[in-house]
Amino acid sequence: MIAALLQDAHAVAQAAPEAAGAAPSAALEAARLAGSLSSYLVVSGLLFLLGVAVILVRRNALYVLMGVELILNAANLNFVAFARFGGYGLDGQMFALFVVILAAAEAAIALAIVLRIFNDFGSIDITRTDSLRD
Amino acid sequence: MLDFMFAVFGGLAVLGAAVLFFHPSIVHGAFALVASLLGVAGLYWTLGADFLGGAQLLLYVGGVTVLLLFAVMLTTRDSQRISLPRHVFGALLVGLLGAWLWDACSGVLAVVQASGAGLPPDPQPTTALIGTALLERAEYLLPFEAISVLLLVVLVGAVTLARRRTEGGA
Repeated sequence: MIAALLQDAHAVAQAAPEAAGAAPSAALEAARLAGSLSSYLVVSGLLFLLGVAVILVRRNALYVLMGVELILNAANLNFVAFARFGGYGLDGQMFALFVVILAAAEAAIALAIVLRIFNDFGSIDITRTDSLRD
Repeated sequence: MLDFMFAVFGGLAVLGAAVLFFHPSIVHGAFALVASLLGVAGLYWTLGADFLGGAQLLLYVGGVTVLLLFAVMLTTRDSQRISLPRHVFGALLVGLLGAWLWDACSGVLAVVQASGAGLPPDPQPTTALIGTALLERAEYLLPFEAISVLLLVVLVGAVTLARRRTEGGA
């Protein structure tokens, strides 16, 4: 479906110079909209999947943090893309802005916790930090 | 032009994330993350979200990644290879998730195309509009003020957490 839409968008782009004089048909416009939206969705989906993969595969707590950052960015990209192509105005951007600020705060706290874990356990391997107190 | 920018920044974002995943060294991974976040900022610009792109650049590329690099320097001693079972397990789960995501996105896009809506008009500069929405029209005044309290709490919390414990406790 997405591949077909991307091909559609490509075809539309090819046909665009001829149709420039006449008003584009509604179906053509809808195809172009779905095509642009789908390309952003593909990038966002890839970022999300790579973030999840990093979290699942790595054992270093810092990798987990970086994976979370990737996932947050993927979600933000979706917010902005849907707001842009859905005509929702600023709402998507405002939400993404607050997510960026919260992510910065989260990173600061998480890194403080990581440093503390490193001091207490001598390692930030998330499979070895298995006790609350010693 | 916009398509070209999308290709450059989208490629940068995905490539950076891929290097973070595949490269064994965490320092290389952190710098690849910088590239990836830069790509996402560029994608915001192609979407007409100029202020958000700037904020992303300052907060993420300038702030969060510097914090991450400091933490990498302070804690990590050696790079580690990923063990094979974890790799296979991760690839399986991510593949499943990807298939499901593809399906969901296809459904959404089918709805979008069936709605027959055209491309919205080109976006205007957003900085003044965001300022108005935050303070003058006060649509987002409460979250704006809540964020300032949250930042104070984070500041104090980070200092308290990261401080070494002294003899007298706390």
